[in-house]
Amino acid sequence: MSRFALPRWSLVAALSLLTLAAAVGSLLYGAVDLSVARLVDAAMGNEDKVASIILFDLRLPRTILALAVGAMLGLAGAALQGYLRNPLAEPSVLGTSNAAALGGVAAIYFGLAEIHPIILPLLATGGALLSLALLFILSGKAESPLTLILAGIAVGTLAVAGTSLALNLSPNPFAAMEIMTWLLGSLENRSFDHVWIALPCIAIGMAMLLWNGRALDALTLGEDAAQALGTDLRRTRLRLLIGTAIGVGGAVAVTGAIGFVGLIVPHLIRPLTDRSPSAILLPSAIGGAALLTLADLGVRIIPTTNELKLGVVTAFLGVPVFLVHLMRERRLW
Amino acid sequence: MSINLCADQLVLALADRSQISGLTHNATDPEMSGEAAKARGLPLLSNSAEQILAIEPDLIVGMPASRSAALTALPQRTYPLLDLATANTLDEIYTSIRQTAVAVGHPERGAALIARMQAELAGLPKPGKGRVAAYYQRRGYMTGTGTLIDELMTRVGLVNLAGKLGKPPLSQLSLEEMVAAEPDYLIVESATDTVTDQGSEMLHHPALKDIPRISVPQAWTVCGSPAYTEAARSMAAQITRIEGRIS
Repeated sequence: MSRFALPRWSLVAALSLLTLAAAVGSLLYGAVDLSVARLVDAAMGNEDKVASIILFDLRLPRTILALAVGAMLGLAGAALQGYLRNPLAEPSVLGTSNAAALGGVAAIYFGLAEIHPIILPLLATGGALLSLALLFILSGKAESPLTLILAGIAVGTLAVAGTSLALNLSPNPFAAMEIMTWLLGSLENRSFDHVWIALPCIAIGMAMLLWNGRALDALTLGEDAAQALGTDLRRTRLRLLIGTAIGVGGAVAVTGAIGFVGLIVPHLIRPLTDRSPSAILLPSAIGGAALLTLADLGVRIIPTTNELKLGVVTAFLGVPVFLVHLMRERRLW
Repeated sequence: MSINLCADQLVLALADRSQISGLTHNATDPEMSGEAAKARGLPLLSNSAEQILAIEPDLIVGMPASRSAALTALPQRTYPLLDLATANTLDEIYTSIRQTAVAVGHPERGAALIARMQAELAGLPKPGKGRVAAYYQRRGYMTGTGTLIDELMTRVGLVNLAGKLGKPPLSQLSLEEMVAAEPDYLIVESATDTVTDQGSEMLHHPALKDIPRISVPQAWTVCGSPAYTEAARSMAAQITRIEGRIS
């Protein structure tokens, strides 16, 4: 038990409040200065075309996506860390996000996404699933956390190279700019079309991951003990794989690969709980939503001529977490 | 031979086919060059010094030719060069046409082409009636004043939003800012009419769906070329059509 452990409900409530505040901030703040009164007026349905387009067509879908994608990434990080019993596991470190981006790039730049809207999330999910399968084959049954991370680096690097190659091969003269968006992620200029692509995938993915809490707790005792406790390991793994792939695939298909959210959030949440994997699942999802929404707000507030990419902000937040971990590990040696 | 996409179009319009020993590799791309059809079958170069050496041209046309990286790699060779200035106004287009026509030995063709363009432009209506338009490109770039686009807008009676907002020749305007600025028209490149990537996807954001669009092929506007008149004619016709639909 951690000294700081909060009752579960109060943690969830506090995180929810933070998330709500972030979402409201995201609706109120943007490139154009609109007064709160004007936005409230527009929300009430008054005749103010500019404010209502900005609020409902631009800021609302962006906020919804930030919340949903952040929640998915936070939850995927928590679930993967729990299942693999590895504090560094998360979709972008393991190469899943980049593989999903590769699928999305293939769908868009070779015109497949025009055939039917479902092809984009389908290929992104396919990319994610393939990378996870490859990851488990590469790392095998090795107990060492290092093997898994190395395999993840291999898979991720392969996917990044594939993405760049695909964009260079596509008949698009603006490939360099596009590569950046896909590898660093962005919520700029998203619309409800994107929300409808991502949201169903994320809902399915999150449901499949939240289901695993009990099995993850049992796994902390080791695989054999978990099996003795009646956990069906094969099913747990399958749910985890497919849930992560569908959720992360849908998210990456519309935002690009946003790194580190899944890494940071469980680490920030864990000291506030009893540290059992099941206890951090839901708080990590809510925390992820808050973090990504805040990061996206930061992207808009920091004055740059070109809008900052979201992945840049999350990486700046993620690296210190890596460092803290590294130092703690060294102390243990 | 020509070593610049814009120079390609002037050379194609004014020189004899047999005079042309090389064009840039984009010369046959109908999305980039207004004279793409004429360029088919002519030798295309990739701007390498080796190719220039092999051709031994009598004239190199560029924008400007003297600053070309391929030519600086060949300091000992002195080819006759024609340095054209980037044309930002119609008068500068006429100057480029005249210079090129003289350099390829057909000054009368240049004069005839200019007379034809002037006659066409003189008959063009100004249906814009002072309405505000924004030339909005992929990723939210907006073309400002002092450009060929700006001059085209003025010619068909439109006011450039960038000028109204005091923006530089090329600026980036977010979707929110564009919605708040409420232009009467968006002018877009016809290549972005379909969504092919994230850059063009933003121009199809639902937030912009209520602003009427004028779509002009990039091939007509990216260079100061004879296609200027076609761009002006097409813009005027589209405005007239949209106005007819609204009223």
